[in-house]
Amino acid sequence: MASIPDQLKLQEAQGQKQGVAKRGNREDSTKYVFLLPAVVWIVIFTIFPLLYAIYTSFFSFRYGKINQFIGLGNFGRLFTDANLHGALWITITFVAVTVTVEMLLGFGLALIFNREIWGKNVWRAVMTLPLFATPVAMGYLGITLFYETNGPVNALIAALGGTPPPWLSNPTWAPIAVMLIDIWQWTPFVFLVALAGLQGLPEDIYEAAKVDGSSGFQLFRHITLPLMAPILWLILLLRLVEAFKVFDIPSSLTLGGPGRATEVYSLFTYRTALRFFDHGYAATQGFLLLIIVSIIISLLFGRIRSLYEVSR
Amino acid sequence: MAQRQTSLAGKLVYTIIVVIALFWVAFPFYWAFINSIKKPAETFRPTWIPILQFAPTLEHWTSELAIPETQHAILNSTMIAIGAATLSTILGTLAAYALARFQFNRPSNGGLTSWFLSQRIMPPVLFVIPFFLIMRQINLLDTVWGLILLNATFTLPLPVIILSQMFRELPSELEEAARVDGASRMQAFFQVALPLVAPGLVAAWILCLAFSWNEFLFALSLTNKSAIPMPVIIAGAEHTRGVQFHYVGVRVLLTMLPPTILALLAQRYIVRGLTLGAVKG
Repeated sequence: MASIPDQLKLQEAQGQKQGVAKRGNREDSTKYVFLLPAVVWIVIFTIFPLLYAIYTSFFSFRYGKINQFIGLGNFGRLFTDANLHGALWITITFVAVTVTVEMLLGFGLALIFNREIWGKNVWRAVMTLPLFATPVAMGYLGITLFYETNGPVNALIAALGGTPPPWLSNPTWAPIAVMLIDIWQWTPFVFLVALAGLQGLPEDIYEAAKVDGSSGFQLFRHITLPLMAPILWLILLLRLVEAFKVFDIPSSLTLGGPGRATEVYSLFTYRTALRFFDHGYAATQGFLLLIIVSIIISLLFGRIRSLYEVSR
Repeated sequence: MAQRQTSLAGKLVYTIIVVIALFWVAFPFYWAFINSIKKPAETFRPTWIPILQFAPTLEHWTSELAIPETQHAILNSTMIAIGAATLSTILGTLAAYALARFQFNRPSNGGLTSWFLSQRIMPPVLFVIPFFLIMRQINLLDTVWGLILLNATFTLPLPVIILSQMFRELPSELEEAARVDGASRMQAFFQVALPLVAPGLVAAWILCLAFSWNEFLFALSLTNKSAIPMPVIIAGAEHTRGVQFHYVGVRVLLTMLPPTILALLAQRYIVRGLTLGAVKG
């Protein structure tokens, strides 16, 4: 496989060539026949709802019906709502812990798996299994995995001589249980993408460095890490964006509890919307999350823009 | 990457890590499976090997599958997943071809692609309220159709990215030759280009299928009875029946085996699908 920068150049060159070839029949309207259905679809199903959400956010609701125009009232509540701040803090903690662990574990495993081993394709297939295991089902299975008496996790802890913690009934341990399932599910994602990146690295650089007498750690520090940097930034970005949306696992594993200990942002907003029918405020909360995610993207996107252009 | 010579001790450590990693990944699946075939009393004993340590039973599978709600939910999930995947693959493939073969200005091809991809970055919870209100307005609340439309929207980036890359890798001379022979643009697309990207087409469809099957937030928000799919059944199960390990095992496997097995079939495309095309697996 060609390295990422090589692919980039290649695709750029192809794009230019096509551009020149197509300029002759620019009036060709067939191209809109291909493009427009998807564009119209997305405008109808995302742009229109977004505008509708903006509209809703200016109103207070009562029993799911528009009550009155309150201008920026819902935005003001964002600053004073202690429960919202709690949910945001829980989510930030969740994101920080899970993404850090997933990055380290996934990249570490990719480095270990990245060599000729017996049955490599089978191992890789096994590692992809968690990615599409229905998250809400994993949360539900987690109730049995983290069962306090005789659950397999606590049985293992007891066997190793530890004190089994009260996973799901304790506000300190419940978030950790949620995090562990998320880590189980998404470490393979970091692993697979990092492994794909590692296998695309050019071999001759390593040969040359070894001739120069570089040690294994030097190879890693001065060749692998810099070459992998764009991919690692990309994985980080995708994981951060995805982790902030967390909803399924806490919904089924802990229902946000005990108390509010695992009530993540999306769960809080969902409840504002469809348990308390405070539609306007829920829409406003949705925008706050969008703003947070957008800030993260804009902070990281510059670093990986070159990589992204591959997908033009 | 270069193969490194490893010492015997290194190989041993390495093997141990690989085994632990694989065990960690596979254990929850095995745990669900083993509980699903245990007699209720047996679920509290640490027995691991069916037949040798305990007599397996299929009674929980048959009784779970006999529940009308479960049957209905499986049917709903199947219809939602197939409907959404088909719709999004059709729309996405057409758009992918446009982006790969034609030049657009203002917005450019790159701009259009990023716009398609940005749909995957939006927090879904932002859409819960508008979709709930709109679906209520147009009478699509609690219908399979409502969820098909939504899942098609949110999976659309996958076929766009997977297939535009595949079309780009296809030499355009093939279609040009067909056009010299008198085929229209459309005929060249349907008869020449499309058959050549068939593997990518199937893979994109499968990934959309898996994502739509697994989708939970909208399924929960927009259904309350007749359109409830498997993930929603599972989320409410604990409260209706308590935690019975054997039923948990059956339900969990019923829900997550279809997308997991399907995704294995599309394995080659998972990395590029999940990284929005930036990394090829």
